[in-house]
Amino acid sequence: MSWKTVIGLEVHSELNTNTKCFCGCKNEFGDKPNTNCCPVCTAMPGALPVLNRDAVERAILMGLAVGCKINNYSVFERKNYFYPDLSKAYQISQLEYPLCLGGGLEIEVDGVKKFIRLDRIHLEEDAGKLIHTPHGTLVDYNRGGVPLIEIVSKPDMNSAEEAVAYLEKLRSTLLYVGVSDCKMQEGSIRFDVNISVNREGEPLGTRTELKNLNSFKAVMRAIKYESTRQIEELEAGRPIIQETRRWDDEKGKTYAMRSKEDSQDYRYFPDPDLIPLNVTNEYIDSIRAKLPKLAPQRKKEYMEMGLTEQDATLITNEREYADFFEKVLSYFNEPKFVCNWITAEVFKKLNALEEDDRKINLNPESLAQMLKLYKDGEINQAGARKIFDILWENGDADPNELVEKLGLKQMNDTGALRAVLEKIVNDNPKAVAELKGGNEKTMAFFVGQAMKATQGKANPKLVNEIVRELIK
Amino acid sequence: MKYIDYSLSEILDLLNSKKVTAVELVNSCFEQIEATADLNALNSTYKEMALARAKEIDEARTRGEKVGALAGVPIVLKDNINFLGTKTSCASKFLENFVSPYTATCAKKLYDAGAIIIGKANMDEFAMGSSNENSAFGAVKNPVDNTCVPGGSSGGSACSVAAKQCFAALGTDTGGSIREPSSFCGVVGIKPTYGRVSRYGVVAFASSLDQVGPLTRTVRDNATMLNIISGKDEADMTTSNTAVPDFTANLDKGVKGIKIGVAKQFFTDQLSSEVSTTLKNAIEWYRQAGAEIVEVDLPSLDTALAVYYVISSAEAASNLARFDGVKYGRRAPVYKDVVDLYFKSRTQGFGAEVKRRIMLGNYVLSSGYYDAFYRKAKRVQKVIRNEFNKAFESCDVLISPTTATTAFKLGEKSNDCVAMYLTDIFTVPINIAGVPALSMPCGKDSKGLPIGMQIIAKHFNEATIYQVANAFETAHKEEK
Amino acid sequence: MSITIDDVKKLAILSRLEFTDDEIKKFVSDLEATLKQVEAINKVDVSNVDLIEDTIDADTDLRRDVVIPSLKASEIVSNAPEKEDGAFLVPVTVVED
Repeated sequence: MSWKTVIGLEVHSELNTNTKCFCGCKNEFGDKPNTNCCPVCTAMPGALPVLNRDAVERAILMGLAVGCKINNYSVFERKNYFYPDLSKAYQISQLEYPLCLGGGLEIEVDGVKKFIRLDRIHLEEDAGKLIHTPHGTLVDYNRGGVPLIEIVSKPDMNSAEEAVAYLEKLRSTLLYVGVSDCKMQEGSIRFDVNISVNREGEPLGTRTELKNLNSFKAVMRAIKYESTRQIEELEAGRPIIQETRRWDDEKGKTYAMRSKEDSQDYRYFPDPDLIPLNVTNEYIDSIRAKLPKLAPQRKKEYMEMGLTEQDATLITNEREYADFFEKVLSYFNEPKFVCNWITAEVFKKLNALEEDDRKINLNPESLAQMLKLYKDGEINQAGARKIFDILWENGDADPNELVEKLGLKQMNDTGALRAVLEKIVNDNPKAVAELKGGNEKTMAFFVGQAMKATQGKANPKLVNEIVRELIK
Repeated sequence: MKYIDYSLSEILDLLNSKKVTAVELVNSCFEQIEATADLNALNSTYKEMALARAKEIDEARTRGEKVGALAGVPIVLKDNINFLGTKTSCASKFLENFVSPYTATCAKKLYDAGAIIIGKANMDEFAMGSSNENSAFGAVKNPVDNTCVPGGSSGGSACSVAAKQCFAALGTDTGGSIREPSSFCGVVGIKPTYGRVSRYGVVAFASSLDQVGPLTRTVRDNATMLNIISGKDEADMTTSNTAVPDFTANLDKGVKGIKIGVAKQFFTDQLSSEVSTTLKNAIEWYRQAGAEIVEVDLPSLDTALAVYYVISSAEAASNLARFDGVKYGRRAPVYKDVVDLYFKSRTQGFGAEVKRRIMLGNYVLSSGYYDAFYRKAKRVQKVIRNEFNKAFESCDVLISPTTATTAFKLGEKSNDCVAMYLTDIFTVPINIAGVPALSMPCGKDSKGLPIGMQIIAKHFNEATIYQVANAFETAHKEEK
Repeated sequence: MSITIDDVKKLAILSRLEFTDDEIKKFVSDLEATLKQVEAINKVDVSNVDLIEDTIDADTDLRRDVVIPSLKASEIVSNAPEKEDGAFLVPVTVVED
C-alpha cells in the first residue's frame, strides 16, 4: 500500500501597524537594539499592555478575506514560558476564543484545484531578537510586542507542492489585504510545518513539527526530506516520535531539537490585564467595507476586459501586479497590450531579483506613454525595450524625450524606406525567389536588412508591406 | 502642637494660608523619620529631592501661582510603586538595586498635584503577606506596640502614617494589604473599587485583584487623596470610565436614612470577643445616629479565601516570571548557562513566601489542574460577586470587622502559613467581589491596640463609604 | 488532594526555582495544607455560572495606532545586570523553540 503525506501549516505574519500590539512603540525593522522600546515591551515591573485597535482590525480584515467567522467575543491569554527573547516570560496570545475561526483558500497544483480549510486566525505578539556573539547573546526587544497573526490550517495538504501553493496563495492574500509586508528575509512572515505519513486507508501517523523554514524553497525541500525520512523510519520498523525538528538548509536535513522537560505546559490563562473584547457585528461590517478587491474578483474583471484566463491569473497573482496594471490602464486603456508587456518584460525584470526585493520600480504613467508610442508605431520593439530598460533604472525618465535623445523614432517615411528596400530587393534575387515561392521566413531577412540599413529605425510593419509590393 | 500632629487637611490649610512652608514640613517629617527609624517603616528616603521640590512649590505659592490640590504635602509611596529615579525594591532581594526608569500613573498624579514624595515604604516582599515580616529588609514594627506586627503587606505605609512620618501614604491591596495594616496600626485605609485607580507602574502581584489606595490619619484626608489618584488611565485597560465624584462632598451629610447591612458570615466564632463587642457597639452607635440596620446574607463568603489563593497565586506565578535575571534586578554571580541563570537568580532573589505562591500558582495553572482550580475559582468568584450585588439591593453599605483580632506579636504566626492566610478572611472577599472597602479605627482592645471597622459599598460607591465613615469619626474624635 | 515529591520537583522546574530535599518535603506538606483550604471552592454550586466576563468594545475602547515616543536604549538597559551597546547580555543561548 502506498504512503500518504499529511501536512498542516502554521503561518506567522507580522502586521504592518504603526505601533506595537500592546504599546505605542514604533513597529519598525532594522533599528538599533532597544531603541523602539518602553517599559511595556521590555516588561519593566508594573508596566501594562494596552491593545492596539489597528492590530485587531487588520487581523479581522485578513479573517474576512479568507472567509473566517469573526468571533464576537475574543480573549487574550498568557502563554507562559521562559526564554531570553520573551521579556515578560509569557507571550500574549489567544487560545480558547481567537478572533477568527474557519475559512479557507483555494489552491491549484498542476491544473487541479483544491480547497484548504483554515482552523483559525488569532492575534498575538512577536518576541524580541537574539544576536549571537562569541562572548554571549545580545537581547534586542525592538521586535518584542510587534503584532502577529497566526494562521493555522487544517491538515489538508498532501504534498510539498500543495503546501507551497497554499503558502504562495496565503502570502498573496496577505499582500492583497495589505495587512502585512510578508518579507521573508526580515522574518515578517514565517512558517511552521506539521507533517505525518500514513498508509493509504489507515489512521493518521504521528506528526513532527518543522521549524526554521525561511523560504518557500526551504518548505518544499524540508517537506520532501521529512516525509521520506518518516517513511524510511516506519518501513524500518521504527516509530515516529512526536517532536519539533529544525531544518538545516545547508545540509538539507531536519534534526530533532533539544526538548525541555516542561516545554509542553504553557499554563495558558486569560490575561487579567486585558479585558475580553466585544467585537460587534456593526464593527465587523465596517471592517468588511474596507476590504480591498481581492484576486478572484479582479481576475473576473480582467477577463471581461479581454484577457485570457492565464494572463488574468498571472497578473492577479500579486496585488502589486494588479494594482500596477490598473494604474497603467488609467493612462493607456489597452488591457491586452499592457498585460502582455507586464507579463513578459516586467516579470522578466522581477524574476532576476531576490524574492524579497521583487518590487515594480516603474512610474506607471511613463510606462503607459512608452507603450502608446510603441502601439502607435512611433517606436519599434527594440526601441521600446531600450526605453523600458532606462525607465526601470530611472523613474523620472521621460519616454518622449528618450525617443528624441536616442533617435529611436521609427522610420515611417514610405518614400525613403522604399528607396532603401528597392536596393535590398535588387541585391538579393535568391531571397526574393524564396519569398515568392512561399517561404515566409525569408521576410525576416528583409526586415533585418532594412534595420541594418536604417540603424534599427525602420518600421517593420511598413517594411513588410513595401517588400510585398516590390516583389509583386 | 508640632506640624506633624496635624492631619493632611489641616496642614493644607496652613500651607495655603502660608503659615507653614513645604520646606518646613519636609524637614519636620525627616526629623520624625529619624526619631522613629527603629520601626523600619521606610526602605528608602529622598530628602534632597523632596527639599528641592518643596522649595519649588513654596516659591510658586509665594509668587501667587496656582498650585496643586496637595501642594507641599509630604507623602510616602509603597515600595512597589514606580517613581522615576527612586528605588522600587518591592522589599525583595531580587530588586534591591532597581531604580525606576518610569513613573506610575498614581504617583504621577500625586506629584502633579504638588505632593512631595519623601520615601518608599517597607512591605511584605512583592506584597505577599499579612504581617510585613516577609520583607527582605527586615520586619516593620507596629508603632502602637513595637512588639507587634503592623500588618501587611502595606505595613510600612500604615506604620509611617501612624508614626506621623508623613501625612499620607499609598499602599496596594490584593486581599487586604491596605485594610489589615490600617486596622492594626489605627489608621484609615481604603481599597477602592477595582478599576478606580490605575495600576500602571505598580508592580503587579495579582492583576485582577490589585488596587492602589491611600492610607491616612483621617477619613477626610483619605477622600482628599482618593480624589487625586482616581480615574480612567489610557495606560491601564482595566481602569473604568465611571465618573469620579468629589469624595469629600458628602462627608458631613450624616447617616440618617442610610441602610447599613450586617452579614452574619462576618461575625464568626473566629472573632475575638473584644473585636466583636467593639463592632457591635459601633453598629449600635449608627442605629442611634439614624441609620437603619438590616440583616443581609453572603452564603459563600467563607469560600472567598480559597478563591483568592487560587486566582492570586496563578496570576502571581505568571506576573513574577519576568524576574528572570536578564533585564534588571538580581543575576546570580555563578551559573552554567542561561537556563541555570534563571534558576539561580530566582532562587537567590526570592524569599520563601514568594516561592510558595509561585509554586502554588503554577500548580493550579498546570495542565490537568487548570479546570479543577483556576476555572472553578473564577466561577465561584462570580457567585460571590453576585451575592454582594444582591446584598447591596437592600443596603447602602456593609459593616464588618476588618480583622478577627488586633495586631499579633512579631513571629507569632510566621511559621504557620495557613494561620497567616486566615488573617485575611474578612478582607479577601472584597477583592474577590471587586467592591470598595475602607478600614478605620473604631476602638481599642484592653492592650490598647486599635480595632478596625470595615465599611463596604457597591462598585464605585466610595463616596457613601466616606460619608458613613466620617460620621463615626467625627462623633468619636475625643476618644482618639 | 495528595502531592508527591515528583509533583513538587516538576513544579519547581516550571517555576525556575531550586530547592533542597528538605525544602521539597516541606513543600509537599505546605501545598497539601493550602490545597485542603482551597477545596472549599467545591462547596459552591457553579453549574449555572457563565464565565463570559465583562467586555470592552473593540471598535471604541482600544488604543489608536499612533506612535508614542520610546525610551532611550540606555534607559531601557539602565538596570541590566550585564549589557552591551544598548542590548541586554546573557550567556550564549542555544536555539530552541
